[in-house]
Amino acid sequence: MKLTKSIKVVLVAISASSLVLAGTTTGNAAPKKALKSIRIAAVVKGLDNPFFIGIKEGIEETAKNYGVFANVQAAPGLNDDIGQANKLDSLAGQNYDCYIVIPISSNNLSQAVGKITKKKKTVINIDSPIDSASLAAAGGKVTSFAGTDNFAAGKAGGAKMVAAIGAGKKIGLIAGLAGNVTSNARIDGFKAGAAGATFVGPVNADWDTTKALDAANAMITANKDLAGFFAANDQMAQGVGKALKAAGLKIPVYGVDGIADALAEVKAGSITATISQYPYVMGKMGVEACIIAAQGGKVPASTITPYYIIDSSNISAALENKSTRGYFPNQTPPGAYNDPYTALIKK
Amino acid sequence: MKKRGNNSDALAKASASDSNLISNLQVKFKDPFFWSDWLVVVAFAVVIGFFGLIAPAEFLTLWNLNNILVAASIPTIIVVGQTFTVLTAGIDLSVSSTMTFGAVSFGLAFTNGWSLWKCCLISIVAGAFVGLLNGLIIAKRKINDFIVTLGMLSVASGAALVLSDGKPRQIISESLSTLAINDKFNIPYLMMVAFVIVLIGHFTLFHTKFGTHVLATGGDPDAARAMGISIVKVKIAVYVISGALAGVAGILAISRIGSAEPAANTAILLNSVAAVVLGGVSLFGGRGSIFGPFIATLLLQSLLNGLTVIGVAAYYQYLSIGLVVILSASLVRTEK
Repeated sequence: MKLTKSIKVVLVAISASSLVLAGTTTGNAAPKKALKSIRIAAVVKGLDNPFFIGIKEGIEETAKNYGVFANVQAAPGLNDDIGQANKLDSLAGQNYDCYIVIPISSNNLSQAVGKITKKKKTVINIDSPIDSASLAAAGGKVTSFAGTDNFAAGKAGGAKMVAAIGAGKKIGLIAGLAGNVTSNARIDGFKAGAAGATFVGPVNADWDTTKALDAANAMITANKDLAGFFAANDQMAQGVGKALKAAGLKIPVYGVDGIADALAEVKAGSITATISQYPYVMGKMGVEACIIAAQGGKVPASTITPYYIIDSSNISAALENKSTRGYFPNQTPPGAYNDPYTALIKK
Repeated sequence: MKKRGNNSDALAKASASDSNLISNLQVKFKDPFFWSDWLVVVAFAVVIGFFGLIAPAEFLTLWNLNNILVAASIPTIIVVGQTFTVLTAGIDLSVSSTMTFGAVSFGLAFTNGWSLWKCCLISIVAGAFVGLLNGLIIAKRKINDFIVTLGMLSVASGAALVLSDGKPRQIISESLSTLAINDKFNIPYLMMVAFVIVLIGHFTLFHTKFGTHVLATGGDPDAARAMGISIVKVKIAVYVISGALAGVAGILAISRIGSAEPAANTAILLNSVAAVVLGGVSLFGGRGSIFGPFIATLLLQSLLNGLTVIGVAAYYQYLSIGLVVILSASLVRTEK
C-alpha cells in the first residue's frame, strides 16, 4: 500500500516538474513572437539629464507604435553605478524578452548582462558602450550596439570652431565625469578636429551645469586670451554660457547632445552651437533591435547613430515639435539618416 | 523559615502574574523605545507583504530575493560602521568617499601586480587611515563630527581622483567575480560577508567592554569620563572602524562593478544615515543596535527593488523612498 502511494507521489512530482519545465524553457533561438507579446525592459542613466529623457521618449513612443510593452527604468542618479547594477539585476529576474542598457561606466553592468545572457535573453547596448573585456569575463553577450561616434562628433565641432575663430587660438575644454569613455572620445575628437589651436584643460565638471560654470570662471580668470569653449555635453555648455555672460565675454561655446534647453539657448544666442545627438533615434533603434531579435531575425551588430551640428542657421527646423506626447523638439535629424533596423522588422 | 503557600495563594499568584504579563505588554507598547527597536521589523514585514501581494510572481521569487540580498550587502557593511559612530553621538559623512578611496587604492595595487589579498588589505588599511584622521581631528581637536567628516568627504574624494588620475581601473579577477556572482544555499556570498560583519559588530557592541564604552560615550559622556573611560580613544576607535568597514565595502563594490571607479557614490551615504535612523539608533548616541540598521537596510533595498519590479517610474521611486524614511523616522522616538 505504502509503496504504491510513494510511486504515485513520485509520478505526480515528475509530471508536475516536467510541466513547469516545459513552460519555462525557451529554445536556443527565440521562436518568432507576436508583436503584442514582446516585453522590453530598459535601464538608462539618470533621468536628471534630459538626454536620457529623450532616450526614454524614443523607447516608449516606438514601443507604442509597434504595440510592444516597454518598461524604462533609470539609475537613481547619474553617478550611482552600483544602484544601476542593482536595477538591472532586479529586471533581469523578471519576464522580459529583451533588455536595452546604457551603462554609467563601461564596466558596471557587465555582471548583470552576464546573468541576462545566461537566461538566453537579448541585450541591446545603446549610447555608451560596455567594455568588451569585462563583458567577456562575466560571460555576457551584447547582440547589438547603437551609438554616436563621439570622436567624429567632437572632431566636426573642432573643425567648425577653428573655421569660425581662426587658426592658432586658445580654446577651453570642459569634460564630463572623470575617466568617462564618452567624454574622452568627444574631447579627443574635438582636439583632433581643431588642428592648430592650443587648449586649456580639459577640466572635469561631471556633466554638471554648476560645476562647469565654476570651471569656466576659473579658466576665464586665468586666461585672458581665450577664444572659445567646448563642453562635452549641453548641461555643461549651459554653465559655460552663464559664465561668459557674467564676464561679458562674447566668444563661441559649443556643447554636445542637443537637449531642448540648449536649443533654446542656441536660439537666444547664449550657446553658439550644439553637436546634436539624437537620443530619440537611439531609443527607437534599441526597441527595433529588440523586436528583430524576438522575431528570430538577424540583428545588425553595430550601428552609428546620427549627429548634426545645430547653430543659428538651422535652429528653427530643430525646434519643431515632432512628438505625439507633448513638446519634444529635435527628435530626429533635420536631414536623412540611416536606420538599418526598420526594414528588418516583420509586421 | 520558608512559608508554605496554599492553593488559593498559588491561584492568586498565577492570576497576578497573568495580569502582570498583560500589564507588562501594555507598558512595553507604551514605551516609545520599544517601538524604535521593533518598528523597523514591522515596517520590513509590511514592505515585503505589500510587494508580495501585488506581484508575487515577480517579487517573491528566489532570484529576486537573492537580488535584494546582493543589493543590500554593500550598504549593510557601511551601515555597521555608521552605527558605531552614531552611537557615540557622532556621524561619519565621509563613508562614501572613504569607500571610493579604498577602492582606488585597491585598483592602484592591483594594476601594479600585487596579490589579491594584499590589495584587499590595502583597501581596508586605506579606509582605516581615513577613519583615523577623522577620529584624531574630532576627538583631539574637539571639532564637530559633522563638519570634520563633511570635510573629509571632499578630501578623500579628491585624494581618490588624484591617486587614480581620474581614470577608472578595470579589475578582472576570477575570485572577485565568483564572490560577486555566486551563492550558496541561495544566500549570495556578498551577503554572507556582510552578515558576518553584522554578527561581529553585534558581538562587539553588546558583549565586549569596548562596546559598553561606546554606548557609554554616546549615552552620557560625563559619566563615562568619570568612570575612567577614555572618550578620546573610543571616538578614534569608532571612526577607524567606520573607515575600515568602508574599505571592505570598497572591495565588494569592485567585485560588483568590475572596476575601481574614482567617482564617489553619494547614494550610499544618504542610505546609510537613513538606515541608521530607521533602525532605531538615536542620533544623540547611547541607544541602538546593529540588527536594527541591518533590517532597515534590507527594507530600503526591498523597497527600491519592489518599485522597480512593479514598474514604478523613477521619479516616483525617489518620492516613495523619501516618504517611507520620513514616516518611519517620525514614528521612532529619538529624544533621550
